[in-house]
Amino acid sequence: MTSRPAGTSPSPHILRQLRGERRKLTTTKVWWQFAIAVAVTTGLGLVLSVGTTADALHHGGKGAPPQGFADVSTAPAQLVASFAADIFTSGQFFGAMFATLLAVLLITNEYRYQTATTTFLANPRRTSVIISKLLMAIIAAVAVWVLTTAIDLAVGVSYFSGQGLSSQLGSWTVERAILVNGLVFALWGVFGVGVGVLVRSQVAATVVTVLLYTVGVYGALGVVAAIQRFIYPHDSVAAWIVLYPGYAAQIAADPHATNLPDNTVAWWVGALVMLGYGLVMATIGTTLLRRRDIT
Amino acid sequence: MPPPVPVNTAAPGHPAGLDGRIVVSGLTKTYGRVAVVRDVSFTVEPGRVTGFLGPNGAGKTTTLRMLLGLVVPDSGTATIGGLRYADLVEPLRSVGAVLDATGAHPGRSGRNHVRIVCDVAGMALARADEVLAMTGLAPAGRRLVRTYSLGMRQRLAIAAALVGDPRVLILDEPANGLDPEGIVWMRALLRDLAAQGRTVVISSHVLAEMEVLADDLVIIAGGSLVAQGTVERVIDSSPIGAIVHVRASDDEALRRAIAERGGVATPTTGGRLRITGLSAAGVEATARAIGVQVHDLTTGRAELEDVFLDLTRGRATIR
Repeated sequence: MTSRPAGTSPSPHILRQLRGERRKLTTTKVWWQFAIAVAVTTGLGLVLSVGTTADALHHGGKGAPPQGFADVSTAPAQLVASFAADIFTSGQFFGAMFATLLAVLLITNEYRYQTATTTFLANPRRTSVIISKLLMAIIAAVAVWVLTTAIDLAVGVSYFSGQGLSSQLGSWTVERAILVNGLVFALWGVFGVGVGVLVRSQVAATVVTVLLYTVGVYGALGVVAAIQRFIYPHDSVAAWIVLYPGYAAQIAADPHATNLPDNTVAWWVGALVMLGYGLVMATIGTTLLRRRDIT
Repeated sequence: MPPPVPVNTAAPGHPAGLDGRIVVSGLTKTYGRVAVVRDVSFTVEPGRVTGFLGPNGAGKTTTLRMLLGLVVPDSGTATIGGLRYADLVEPLRSVGAVLDATGAHPGRSGRNHVRIVCDVAGMALARADEVLAMTGLAPAGRRLVRTYSLGMRQRLAIAAALVGDPRVLILDEPANGLDPEGIVWMRALLRDLAAQGRTVVISSHVLAEMEVLADDLVIIAGGSLVAQGTVERVIDSSPIGAIVHVRASDDEALRRAIAERGGVATPTTGGRLRITGLSAAGVEATARAIGVQVHDLTTGRAELEDVFLDLTRGRATIR
């Protein structure tokens, strides 16, 4: 039994830690720098997705008739929904990358600025600290998703209404795309914590994340192609690419947008692979951290 | 008969039952082949200021970090009120610690740094302003830590340590970077906290400061304990004994002769010799034996610095 001093909160340790992690994130200038970067890259994403949609509707292609629609407002709902799904998830590529980097910073800042001593003095239960950071990374990733989605909706809805079209926000195709997009952001947040705990050096963890996120996928595709060609010539090998984290996230977001033949890998397999990477890395990293000296 | 156990005079609002006694038992830590801390045991009593002394590389910081659960010992235990730090239910309300790195993000305001500590300790945010006021930082609370002087960073670390109104305070070199006014302030603060029945452990290089501030001493060198007890006991039990000051007709000859008899003579700025390891009679006999005339001889009690240097001689190496 412990008696509590007046004016203190009876909430569990993990919620207190989470409150502290939230304050850490919002009391340096990092959060608004990231918010600006997310807004700008989402804007660029919208230029691309709205441009592609307009091009298809007016000049054909991407499921629209070869000459486009003489009257755009006659475009079938299902087709509009597929464009809307694209527009309302604009900015995913960079947004999810920033969500990952934010998660990396949640961990590596503690080492870079030597705040780890303060953190582990305040809460010597190291696993609880990492779980709080994991939750914070998910919350931050969802916040990034809310920001990109809000911008996408504002721009997308006014574009469609300007074209005399419905935004198809009642369509499951569109709703699913938006929600799964949020899930993918959260998965990248978990992944970022895993990288941070395992790598610890801020520079190294950031470089690893960006390389994995961008050019790494080509290397992975090359490896899979080489395996298929020289080691195990079987069609199913192509699907192994789902084991690459960046590709797994793409499959989770939309299997049709990948180069894999339809129905090779279900979207949730990609999601599970991403979650698995994040949790396995975070677990190994935390196990090491529990034994490590904080100096 | 065991010494009387101090009554648990926990200030109102402390996790009940925690007495602030620190027991370090057989702590050992090896990095590579270097035993940084070797079988160190000591106890620290509540209601007193305990100075934790040792030359550079003696293992002070490593010992304190083991006590605080940041460094895992190879063997041995360290407990506060009978519990390991990691097992304390409310660590921040039991123990406040200031370690040499202030541990604040440079791009965050001092006030927000302390508020984060309040969050994790489960304390109301108003407590942040209270401890900033206590440490004289209130006017600078909203400035970024980047703009703080070293002394202000030390005050910030002390503020963060005080958030939980802890029963035990552990401070590693807190005087670093403090100006004379800051040192006087800190001395008063620590004396006050000890007078309230709290346990105060402070490591320092400033021996004169320690002689004024500390009730008890724990001295380590080369990773091992070399002395512990009250300041008076540590000084009085030293083999150095008295300090002899003397003016000699031939300093060089007398120094050689004293060294041959196991003493140490060093010239002072006043043109006299300062001799440890020999009594006044011993010095006079030595001088007579080699035909050196001495006069103006005085004796005095050894100071902590003399005792410290004697206890740690030859162990102050960088390892």
